[in-house]
Amino acid sequence: MLPENLTAIVARNETWTGLAATEPYEAGWAREAIVFVRALKAPKGPLPTARIEISADGMHWVAEGSEFALPAKENAVTFQRVAHFGAFLRVAAALPEGAEITVLVSLHLKA
Amino acid sequence: MTQLDDMRRAIREADPQLSRFDPLRRIICFDDFDRGMCGWTQLVGNYEITLDQMLPGYAQHTHAQLSTLPNWDFGSHGGVDGSYALKLATRAKRGARNVTLKRLTFRKAGPIRMECYFTFKPEATELQLMETDVRSFGFLYDLQVGDQHGAGGQRVMPHLRFLNAEDGKHLQKWQFKRKTTDIVPIGTVGKTISHYHLAPTDWEDLPGGEQRLCYNEIPTKINWHYLRFDFDLATMKATSFQVNDRSFDLSTFDSIRIPAMKNLWCMLNLCFFAETDTDKRAFAYLDSVCLSGDF
Repeated sequence: MLPENLTAIVARNETWTGLAATEPYEAGWAREAIVFVRALKAPKGPLPTARIEISADGMHWVAEGSEFALPAKENAVTFQRVAHFGAFLRVAAALPEGAEITVLVSLHLKA
Repeated sequence: MTQLDDMRRAIREADPQLSRFDPLRRIICFDDFDRGMCGWTQLVGNYEITLDQMLPGYAQHTHAQLSTLPNWDFGSHGGVDGSYALKLATRAKRGARNVTLKRLTFRKAGPIRMECYFTFKPEATELQLMETDVRSFGFLYDLQVGDQHGAGGQRVMPHLRFLNAEDGKHLQKWQFKRKTTDIVPIGTVGKTISHYHLAPTDWEDLPGGEQRLCYNEIPTKINWHYLRFDFDLATMKATSFQVNDRSFDLSTFDSIRIPAMKNLWCMLNLCFFAETDTDKRAFAYLDSVCLSGDF
């Protein structure tokens, strides 16, 4: 059988301000992931980098170490490759006051 | 029972995976999540031109997950059989809801049977029992007659949920629903409409539908429950409903019924949903789902 391969939309048309993160996604079966972030509207204000976070239980999170830019224009896309991440994965960002981005975040996971 | 029926039953009872199910003649799908997502996806709301038009009830939905039911205190729980189950998680906001579904069509308007093993728990954010944190676990079909049905054809949506708790009260009863919200246009092109059939309003108690399910003694231990729901696509009526050792009276049960829509002929969608009653995520798990039909 072909190995599992899944596209999961984990944030759709969500507007991020302040401390923002995708919902916890459990994918311990996956050896690798690519996270894509697309801006669905023109972002406002200075955008921080986004970071990958991992967790043992889906409740307590630590930075995995990968950071990547958030898309700066409407329909622009950024991505980050991740591997060996354990069970739970999410994308987080801390937006400064006045900054705002409406995102579509997808995880592309492979066993 | 014919000789073929006897042989079919013997083969299935000898198969350790199928032996815990009692399917009708044909198995439409048998989804053991050790083989992946098996076609279970997230329910996305209708939209046109912009996602902003999606009704908020649908906008909150996220994708189901392949889960080993991992817990902070003792690790992976695992499924009924094998490592994985399908996990449906709500957001951590009181009243939040999530839905996973499988989209099919039917080839004969006759009896169908859905069987599954399910369980539910809140996210274990506290060292408390939290038995009233999950509001409900439920399921529904979204069905429509075939295109040759003629006048009076309907889209029919039987819904059942186990109302575990509401406003902190431990209610533990099965409910059904006959009403959806008003159908509203989506966008301006005139091709798309939407309604929110999972709105928290209009749930009705199933007579005799109180049931105390095994919940276990801390927030991380789960026990699996057997569920079976029989429906006849010819009459568009439910015929039988069983959970664990209890069979329920469906004499007052009915479905949401609305006029047939122009592009949903022979639709056979099966959905499961979970709702949270507090600002904690509610988790519902399935392992496995067996859908069968008499054809």
